[in-house]
Amino acid sequence: MPLRRPARSDAWRCGGRLLSALGSAAEIGKRIVVRKTAALSLAYLVAVALAAAFATTVGFDPLSQNLARMLEGPSRDYLFGTDELGRDILARVVYGARTSLITAAGAVTLAASVGVPMGLVAGFFGGWRDAVLMRIVDLKLALPSILLALALIAVLGRSQVAALTAVGLTGVPTFARVARAQVLSLRRRDFVTAVEAFGASSPYLMFRTILPNSWSPILTQMVVLSSVAILLEASLAFLGVGIPPPTPSWGEMLRTGKEYLYESPTYAILPGLMLTLTILSFDTLGRALSAVLEGREDAPVRRGAGPA
Amino acid sequence: MIGYVARRLMQLLPVLLTASALIFGMMYAVPGGPVGVLVGENATPEQIEKVTKEFGLDRPVLVQYADWLGRAMTGDLGHSLHSREPVAKLIGERLPATIQLALTATVIGLLLGVPLAVASALTQGSWFDRGLSGWSALALGVPTFWVGILLILLFAVQLRLLPAASGYVPFWDSPWQMLRNTILPASTLGLYVSGIFARFLRGSLIAELNADYVRTARSKGLVESAIVVRHVMRNALLPFVTIVGIMLAGFIGGAVVTEAVFTYPGMGRLVIQAIGSRDYPLIQGCILVILVGYMLINLAVDVLYVYIDPRIDYG
Repeated sequence: MPLRRPARSDAWRCGGRLLSALGSAAEIGKRIVVRKTAALSLAYLVAVALAAAFATTVGFDPLSQNLARMLEGPSRDYLFGTDELGRDILARVVYGARTSLITAAGAVTLAASVGVPMGLVAGFFGGWRDAVLMRIVDLKLALPSILLALALIAVLGRSQVAALTAVGLTGVPTFARVARAQVLSLRRRDFVTAVEAFGASSPYLMFRTILPNSWSPILTQMVVLSSVAILLEASLAFLGVGIPPPTPSWGEMLRTGKEYLYESPTYAILPGLMLTLTILSFDTLGRALSAVLEGREDAPVRRGAGPA
Repeated sequence: MIGYVARRLMQLLPVLLTASALIFGMMYAVPGGPVGVLVGENATPEQIEKVTKEFGLDRPVLVQYADWLGRAMTGDLGHSLHSREPVAKLIGERLPATIQLALTATVIGLLLGVPLAVASALTQGSWFDRGLSGWSALALGVPTFWVGILLILLFAVQLRLLPAASGYVPFWDSPWQMLRNTILPASTLGLYVSGIFARFLRGSLIAELNADYVRTARSKGLVESAIVVRHVMRNALLPFVTIVGIMLAGFIGGAVVTEAVFTYPGMGRLVIQAIGSRDYPLIQGCILVILVGYMLINLAVDVLYVYIDPRIDYG
């Protein structure tokens, strides 16, 4: 007997789901914000995101050059000083946040939307699909993700899309592993067996029964991977193969700033500080999420052989 | 034991085959491919044809791969497209520098991480313990290239104690110069791993401290220091050695960014250079060596288990 849809209209169901989702999001939010460091991290990230979103409105200009005032330290006119072309470092840091956040969001979305289905299928069917996936995961463990990303850039060329794709693809095995673990632990649970007994198809079981019950670890992983993605994007830019100039990026600023350590030490210090705070905030938020959603207080080490 | 090592070495082969086939396939996915690199952008069709013939690039991909594989088995990894020097020689020049850096970094990581872990496991829940979890979050999260830049600013620019750019000086030639050149990049990497080491060792120490045999040892009146050093440490070491091995292995190819900060002549910079100039034989050789290094270190760790834990017997 095929599954019969409930009588309520689709619009009704969607509305109801949205409300309950919003309700539980608010509940989770409350439980995260009571943690002091997590609240601080969230506040910082919101501030950075707002600055990045409204940078143009506020009047930040990352490109205009003032050649009379090159490589200056922080001053009243330029809070973060100026770079080697007399550009405002604060403006470039704010625009760099935009680059960083967009790349991270795109990369994590890409990684999740490729990795999760892969993991679901591998875990659900087992056999050769599982074997293939696990070999890929093994390879990923042996090759530092920075090398993988570098190799992908070599194939794709240097562009915003290439950086996003390269960073995203290195995250695929992580999501595949998480989704696979979820399938393995839920597959034989009673509610899944019940739906299966009603004659549900495999895709229905995977995407409508198991996936909706797997959001907690996937969501946690998305936040944690955001920090990895930001670090990876910055590392690529630092190595000179990230998003091409003149697009401001934190890694690129550190790369140039390193050339002027004697003339203007703040040039490398301040963008690095912003980058570090962003990464730490995502980490803290990820740990808080994992504690709230999965009841694990001490999240495991997330970067095997990370970009060092 | 010898049988076990032989079996494990056999298991390396499929992974290496897959990896090398993937990289080989990738070279052909790139627009222009190896020929483009060899002849440059403004080549005439005749030049392209000549080079294609000369390097055997007109043969089917599978034949070329089999040819490369056959030579790789004998240690011949081909020639660099740019410098025309043997890939094996280029890697051979960089590998010792990388190994020296990786070992120094691991030692620094252990010197920092192990005492921290022991102290915090013994004072569980104290301010010191909480401080440690903050420390490891910090050590993991702060990008190594920023740490490196800060170290250069402090020790090279401000204090003028150490060189800003680190060269490779073999330990046997001059331990003092080696230390001067390696200490900054190694500390950068060491700080990073110390966070991982400390968190892991603390976890397994706490698990062991709650074990029954510790209670027995205490009730028979053994002093706490002997319990920790002789019993707990030994048992906590096993999972810890794995982590140390993984990190050490990761440095063989993964110290790319740190090597770039300090312009240290290791494998990481060779790889970037190879990728930047699309030097395919060199890329392939480097990745292969990195993979082999990673797997050999893992094997060494598994063999080490037998000496740490006599209960383990691979037969």
